[in-house]
Amino acid sequence: MAGDRGDASDEMLMVRYQRGDRDAFGELVRRYETPIYNFVLRQLRHRALTEDVTQDVFLRLVQNAADFKHEARFSTWLYTIARNQCIDQVRKLSHRRHPSLDAPPPGREGAGGAPLVESVADPHPRASVERSAAASEVRDRIVAAIEALPDDQREVFLLREIANLPFKDIAEITGVGENTIKSRMRYALDRLKDALSEFDEYARALR
Amino acid sequence: MDCEKFDRIVLDLLYDELDELTRAAAKRHVEQCARCRAIVAGLRATREVGVLPLDAPPATLAARILEAERQATAVLPLRKRFGRAVSILASYTMRPQLAMAALLLLMIGSSLLLVKTRPGARESVQVTERGVPESEREPVAIVPLPRTDGEDSHGAPLEEKRARRERGSAASEEAREPEAEDRQPSASAGAARDTIEPSASPDGAEDAGPGAYEAAMAAYRTGRYAEATRSFDAIAAAGGSEAGSAALYAARSLRNSAGCGAAAARFDDVGSRYRGSAIGDEATWLAADCYRTLGQLERARRNYQLLLANGSYTDRARRALDTLDGRSDDATAARASERPRPAAAAAAAAKPAPAGPAAPAPTGSAD
Repeated sequence: MAGDRGDASDEMLMVRYQRGDRDAFGELVRRYETPIYNFVLRQLRHRALTEDVTQDVFLRLVQNAADFKHEARFSTWLYTIARNQCIDQVRKLSHRRHPSLDAPPPGREGAGGAPLVESVADPHPRASVERSAAASEVRDRIVAAIEALPDDQREVFLLREIANLPFKDIAEITGVGENTIKSRMRYALDRLKDALSEFDEYARALR
Repeated sequence: MDCEKFDRIVLDLLYDELDELTRAAAKRHVEQCARCRAIVAGLRATREVGVLPLDAPPATLAARILEAERQATAVLPLRKRFGRAVSILASYTMRPQLAMAALLLLMIGSSLLLVKTRPGARESVQVTERGVPESEREPVAIVPLPRTDGEDSHGAPLEEKRARRERGSAASEEAREPEAEDRQPSASAGAARDTIEPSASPDGAEDAGPGAYEAAMAAYRTGRYAEATRSFDAIAAAGGSEAGSAALYAARSLRNSAGCGAAAARFDDVGSRYRGSAIGDEATWLAADCYRTLGQLERARRNYQLLLANGSYTDRARRALDTLDGRSDDATAARASERPRPAAAAAAAAKPAPAGPAAPAPTGSAD
């Protein structure tokens, strides 16, 4: 039975949950807990809030389970909920003038505490490479570069790289044309390439 | 494929969202174009190196989510419960069988409503009310029978009926007469008679009631011919089913009381008025007899000839005509031999008229 549940598609699990199979919901949580958590984390850039927002995303799934249509793609439906939750949360934080959005991002706490934009635009990255291990340095640079992206570009990048949604579904979720989505993705990749161009790993990947 | 088109699909190529043909064309273009080859290489290296590391969520997050789900489903808000009940009920009521049954009931109900409000019965009543008097008026117009001489000064309805009767054929008169005689006096017939009676009675003296005819007949049988004549005249003037018979018996009474000289014209009148009926035939026969008695042979012959066509009088009329013709020949012969036997001829001529028997003879003898 457990094997059957593990092989079942997301949509089938959701239909089972609509019929009262709570184990199917547990399987969906297991599959999507980490990507949703990271999507919310990179969108909000606020680790303390991420756990609650992630829980709210799944709770909203429970409350709106009857609205899910079998023909729909479950991941697209779930990330639509997650995106809306993030937008609501960002709006609340902006009303409170929460310091975290302007302060150094939580993921950057180990990277020296410099503001995100400044670290991405660091004119002397070679000094940082020489100070720390290469792997950790690349990781921090990637996170910093992504979190430094404009909101619309970062949203598309996360939906493409974390949620693995096709450009067509991203356009549907965001309500923007597909070509615009691709343009935003292209800008995001270019910025990330600029952030990684000085690392040896990037040079080896080019070969 | 050119570089411009390649720039539009490079991300689809990078994330493997191209169809087979476009991907093959893009690969061929990349092999030939150094610029596009550098672009796609840089993007691939960025994706390869810049994979976003995923942070592990807190270990308690999944448990918290499941617990929140359990609480959310355990305590459904009242609104959600009502919505779920409505959903279950709606799914049951929207079954095709129930929908068809509801449609059938709706059709039957609407058709019953239409049938109930259709004004069929009321229309039939209106037709009956409008039509009955019209249908009953026709026989009333046929019932009245002709009157005596005084009718000429009567009202227009009687004149019209008389004209219609005179225009009618003998057969139609024959068919109508027994019908009028057989019919019992109905309310409508009585009403019709009432409308005619005031003008139909010249002197308005005697009422032609049901017993009047019997009383007149009793007077006739007992020899009170003057009384019988008046009574029968009154009955005939009143019209009705016995008017014809009364007119005939009035003439008979007159003949018995005043002789053929006074009655012949009455017989002739009744015969002409009821031509083709039994009364008319009998009156014609009696008129012919009277004319024969009076010596008015041409009139007698004309009446006998009228009866030749009648089955029951044919033989009698023919014998009478034969006799009349023979007598006429005899009279002619007698007239030829009148000179030698004037007394016999005068006696033969004076025989039916005892009133003035001796007048010609003395005159002739005097000549």
